[in-house]
Amino acid sequence: MNLQKLKFDSLIPALGLAAMLAAGNAAADGPIGDHVNDLQAHLLEYGDEVVWLIEQFDGIVDTYESGGLAASNPEAVMEHWEAVIFHDAIETNYIPIYASIWQGLFGVRQAIEAEAPVADVRVQQAMLEQSLWQALGAVKMAAQFQQRGLTAVIEVTEATTPTETLDEIKQRLDRVVAKYAEQLPEEATSIVFDTYLTRFEGVEGILIEQDAELVVDLEVDFNVTLPQAMESGASLDNVRGVVQAMQSKLDRAKSLLEEAEQNRASVF
Amino acid sequence: MSGAMGSLPLAPASGFAQSSAAVPVDELPALEGELTLYLGRGEGGLYENVLAAVEERNPDFTLNIRRGPTAALANAIVAEAEAGVRRADVFWAVDSGAIGVINEAGLARDLPDDLTRQLQPGFRYPQWAPVTGRIRTLPFNTEQLSAERVPADVMSLPESGLAIGWAPAYASFQSFVTAMRLLEGDQATADWLRGINETATSYAGELGVVMGVERGEVQVGFANHYYTLRLKSGMPDARVAMAFTKNDAGCLVNASGILALAGGDLPIDFIRYLLTREVQTYLANEAFEIPLVGGVATPRGLPDLASIAPPEIDLTLLADLRPTLDLMREVGVL
Repeated sequence: MNLQKLKFDSLIPALGLAAMLAAGNAAADGPIGDHVNDLQAHLLEYGDEVVWLIEQFDGIVDTYESGGLAASNPEAVMEHWEAVIFHDAIETNYIPIYASIWQGLFGVRQAIEAEAPVADVRVQQAMLEQSLWQALGAVKMAAQFQQRGLTAVIEVTEATTPTETLDEIKQRLDRVVAKYAEQLPEEATSIVFDTYLTRFEGVEGILIEQDAELVVDLEVDFNVTLPQAMESGASLDNVRGVVQAMQSKLDRAKSLLEEAEQNRASVF
Repeated sequence: MSGAMGSLPLAPASGFAQSSAAVPVDELPALEGELTLYLGRGEGGLYENVLAAVEERNPDFTLNIRRGPTAALANAIVAEAEAGVRRADVFWAVDSGAIGVINEAGLARDLPDDLTRQLQPGFRYPQWAPVTGRIRTLPFNTEQLSAERVPADVMSLPESGLAIGWAPAYASFQSFVTAMRLLEGDQATADWLRGINETATSYAGELGVVMGVERGEVQVGFANHYYTLRLKSGMPDARVAMAFTKNDAGCLVNASGILALAGGDLPIDFIRYLLTREVQTYLANEAFEIPLVGGVATPRGLPDLASIAPPEIDLTLLADLRPTLDLMREVGVL
């Protein structure tokens, strides 16, 4: 346990505040439980669930090691994950790790189904376990923010300025990765187009005054590069790479708009 | 052939006919009390700056804002009224079609004559006030076309042989098609859509259309005026200029608009602030929108609107998009 505690402590500073507060209006595949609005009261439960999950995954891989594919039940990897309420807690609070967990779940399951060497399956299992611990650390931090009233404010406040909109777009792109990781490419693509039409379109007009080439790049990313990557079945890492490149461009866009806003004339 | 502006930027042009005059903000009464505004989303945050400035100028005034897509807010207002409640005191819509939804439901208050008279002739409506305008244009690539090659009749575009870009899913384009339906009839509009659809390149949005024109992917496109002006602002050498058709939907002037739902002076006085010289100038300079009160310069790069011949159409008639969407689906455009 001490080792696990050390992991939490070292992870938490690495997690970005903005992403931590990325709760938004989460839309999981199933209904999100009320517990996500009272994370602190459920931290012990979440911790127990993570330990339980790791035991279950370990058992599946042990069975595979001793009895091969026929003896194991790799689909149970997903079933166990869907069964825990911790699933909701991380989805509503730290989408990037949520995506990593799904990547790990599929990694373990597909390695077993492909009858990969046990050592390779263990590598996937270790990555999955690491993501789960990271996720628990993230939820603990989110619980602190929630207790201070920060997450509730973020959840009900819609972006009102162009720079806030850019932050919202970045968060939506994280959801795209998460949905792709869940192997829901159509849902992921739908989020991309919706984000373009309802968010990016509203800010690109003023952004083009600052850097037309940047807008051109992002237009292509939204309408061609990212949808095509998902349509062609690119790996999650590749899709994540496209999204991260877009997020870097959005950061640059934000800087430009902040600067422009400082120089803007006053109304009266 | 169409009128064109090919050498942006130009010196500021004067506004429409000078039969009205903007009121300076200093002449307005201070706002006191609390209002709830439903604000249509989509103008890039500059309306927010205006609202913040109005609040800052009026320390005894509180503005509660509910934001959302304009059409959704209009539907919410109607639904709330049907349920016997009124949450919005004022509704600022980014397109006049949504205003029509509210008017049709009989929910908007009459505006005083002295307020509507501040607006340009042709933009005076008894129950809503256009705030700023936008013109449909034909952006064209200046390396591939001269202005003379761009038809002045939008209905002749399909036979022009030009490479055309459009964004049929875009709300402003659909308002333009609605205007065409009203002016030319459903059959002519369906034929026009089919004709364009045979060769046109589709873009997700109209800024994309303008950029496609600039890159030479297409020779001409359909877009609101401000996209070209903004692109020229960020890229002064951009190979794009605007052409205008005459007396048809191709040069429709649409508007954002505001209406009062609640009684009393406060909603009306709040609307007056949006029509002040200062706010109209700000939106013209910063958002490239067209001021609709007299005496305020149009955005730099836009011709004097007196030289443009938009069709005469009641903008609130653009509210009913359903027949337009049905038609666009029927001909395979959507």
